Amino acid sequence: MSRSITALNSTILAVALRNLFGHLRRTLLTVGAIAVGLASLIFLWGFNEGLHRNMLGNFQNAIIGAVQIHHQGFFQHPELSRAIRNPERIVAGLEQAGVSRYSRRLETFGLAASDSTTQGVMLIGMDPTRERLVTELPKRIGIGHFLQPGDEYQLILGATTANNLQVRLGDEVVIIGYDRYGAMVAESFTLAGIITSGEMGLDSGMAITSLSTLQEMVDLPDQVTTFVINVEEKRIPSLVDQLDHSLQNESLEIMPWYSMFPVMKEWETLHNGFLYLFIGVVIFIVLAGELNTMLLSMLERTREFGVLMAIGASRRQVAMMLLAEAMSIGVIGIVSGILLGYVIILVTAEIGIDLSILLGSTSRFYVDPLIYPHLKLDHLGVTIGAILLASLLAGIYPAWRASLLQPVEAIRNG
Amino acid sequence: MLDQTPTSIIKARDLHKCYWVGTMPFPALHGINLDIEPGEFTVLAGRSGSGKSTLLNLIGALESADSGSIEVLGENILAMNQDQRTRFRLQNIGFVFQAYNLIRVFSARENVAYVCQLQGKGKKESMEIANHWLGEVEIGHLGYRRPDQLSGGQQQRVAVARALASEPKIILADEPTANLDSMTGRHLIHLMQDLNRRLGTTFLISSHDPDVKQAAGRLIKLADGQIVDAWDSIPKPPISLASACPVGNLPLTERLRNYFREMRNKVRNKKRHGNTRRHS
Repeated sequence: MSRSITALNSTILAVALRNLFGHLRRTLLTVGAIAVGLASLIFLWGFNEGLHRNMLGNFQNAIIGAVQIHHQGFFQHPELSRAIRNPERIVAGLEQAGVSRYSRRLETFGLAASDSTTQGVMLIGMDPTRERLVTELPKRIGIGHFLQPGDEYQLILGATTANNLQVRLGDEVVIIGYDRYGAMVAESFTLAGIITSGEMGLDSGMAITSLSTLQEMVDLPDQVTTFVINVEEKRIPSLVDQLDHSLQNESLEIMPWYSMFPVMKEWETLHNGFLYLFIGVVIFIVLAGELNTMLLSMLERTREFGVLMAIGASRRQVAMMLLAEAMSIGVIGIVSGILLGYVIILVTAEIGIDLSILLGSTSRFYVDPLIYPHLKLDHLGVTIGAILLASLLAGIYPAWRASLLQPVEAIRNG
Repeated sequence: MLDQTPTSIIKARDLHKCYWVGTMPFPALHGINLDIEPGEFTVLAGRSGSGKSTLLNLIGALESADSGSIEVLGENILAMNQDQRTRFRLQNIGFVFQAYNLIRVFSARENVAYVCQLQGKGKKESMEIANHWLGEVEIGHLGYRRPDQLSGGQQQRVAVARALASEPKIILADEPTANLDSMTGRHLIHLMQDLNRRLGTTFLISSHDPDVKQAAGRLIKLADGQIVDAWDSIPKPPISLASACPVGNLPLTERLRNYFREMRNKVRNKKRHGNTRRHS
C-alpha cells in the first residue's frame, strides 16, 4: 500500500511537472523571476558580508585585534595601577588555548610636545616583533618605518598628530607622562614613522613606541596593560569562554572587539536588518508573481480538476497537485537562482567590486575601496527557506480553491 | 425504507432537483422514479434541458437531490458526505463525458492507469491494466499518444477504457457521441454494447442521438424533468414552481438577500404607516 501511495504521489508530481512544461513560457517567466530575485539577494548578501568583513577586518587589524585582555576595569579606566602584574600566566593560558598570534602592549596617556606646540596622546608601547602577528599597523606607515627590534626611544605618530605638532621624520618629540608612582616623567623621542592610513582613529591621538622603552619610562619593567589577540571571527566566542575559564583567578577582563566597540557590531546588525527588509520585499514580489501563475493554472484547469474529482480523486489529492506545482516552480527557481547567484559571487569575489568612484573617503570608515563579496551559508539558508515558504504560500490559496470545487460545476464551467 | 426491488442496481424514488439562477428557480427533475437492473444497457433519451445529465449526475453521486432517494448498489448515496461519495465513485462508477475530458499532459495509457493508481494500485500494475483496457477498446497501439494526438473517436475510446479500468459495476455516459461524427459515434456505441454483453457492466447513457437510442436495450424517455411513456404524452406539470423548487433549497446567499430585502420592506412600511397616523 505504501508503495502504491508513493506511486500516486510520484504521479501527482509528474502531473505538476508536465503542466509546468506544458506552459513553458509562463513557467520560465515565473522561474526566471524567482531566480533573478534569489540571485540578487545572494549577491547582496555576498556584497554585504564582503563589506562587513572588509570593514571589521580592517578595524581589528588596524589596532584593536579580535580580543583584548586587560586587568579588571582597565578598559573603562586605563590607569597604570591596573597593569597586568603577571603576564607570563596569560601567555601560558594563551598557548594552552592554542593561540599563537598575540602581542603585549603597555598603554597610558601622555602629552606630546614639539618645538612649537603640544598635544594629548595615547601612549602605546608595542612589541615590534609580535605586533606584526596581530595587526597590520606596520603596513600603514606611509612615511618612515615601523619600530624594529632593539629600537629605543623611537616614536610613531599619526599623520594628523604629526601635522598638528609640526614635526617631520627625524625630529625630536618630547613625551610627558606619569610613571607608576604618579610622578611626572619626560623623555625625548625621535620620530621614526608617520601613519598615513586616512582612518581618523589611527591618524590622530596616538603615539607608539617600543614596549621596552615605555616600560622603562614609566618604571614598569616586564609589565603590560594589554594583550591583543588575533583569531578568526567564528572562534572568538569559544576562545573568550575558554580564557575566562582558564584565567578566572587572575582578575582579568577578556573582551572581544564587539564588547569594546559595540557600535561596530550594532552597525553590522542594522545593515543586516536592512537586507532582511529587502528580502521581505523580494519575497512579496515572488509570492505575488507565483500566486498569479498558480491562480491562472488553477482557473485554466478547473474542468480537469472537476473530471479528476468525478473519477475519484479526493480533494486532498487535487490540492496536492497544485501545491506540488507551486513547490516545483519554487525549487526550479531556487536552483537556478543559486547557480546564477553563485556565478556572480564567484566572479566578483575574484575581481572585486571597486567602490572608489562612488566613495572617495571610504577608508575613513575602515573600508577598502575594493570589496570582495563573500557568501555565508546561513544567509543563503535563510533566503532559500523564505523563498520556499513563499512558493508554498503561493500554492496554498489556489490549492484550497481547487479543493472546494464541485465536480459538476467545474466540468460545466471550466 | 425504500421500496425494495431486489435485483435493481439503481433505484430512484420521487427524485426532485431544482437549480437556482439568482432567485429564479429552474426545476430540472420532478418526481423521478427509476429502477435499473444489473447488466442493462439503458439509454436516457430526451431533448436538451429535459434533465438527462442532472439524473446521471445524481446517480453518479456528483450532485445532491433536493428531495427523494437514490440507492446505488444498495447504498443510499444521498446520505453520504463528499469524501464518501468520492470513494464510492472511485470504486463503483465509471464516467464517460461528452467532451472526453482526458488529462492533456498524460498519454492515453497514463490517463487510464491514473484511475487505478487512485484506487491504490502500483504503477506497474496500473499500466498493465491500462494496456488491457486500451486493447479492449481497440486502441492498444495508441497508448503512448497524448490526447491532442488522437482523434475525437480515439479520445472517447480512451475515456471508455478509463471508465472501465477501475472495474466499476456501472458506467454512466453523458452524451458520449455528441462530439463525434455519426460513423465514429456508431462504432463507439457498438463497442459499448459489446463490452456490456461481454463484461456484464451496467451502462446508463444519456443521449438524443438516434443511433444510440436505436442501440438501447431499454429506452427511458425524459421530458421536462419527468419520465414519460411516449414522446407525445404530455408530462404532468408541477403544481407550481414553489412546489417544484421549495425556497428552503435556495442557496444561502440568496436566502440572506431575501431576508434583508424583507427586513428593509418592513422598516419602510412601518415608517410609512407612522407618517400616515401622524397626518391623520
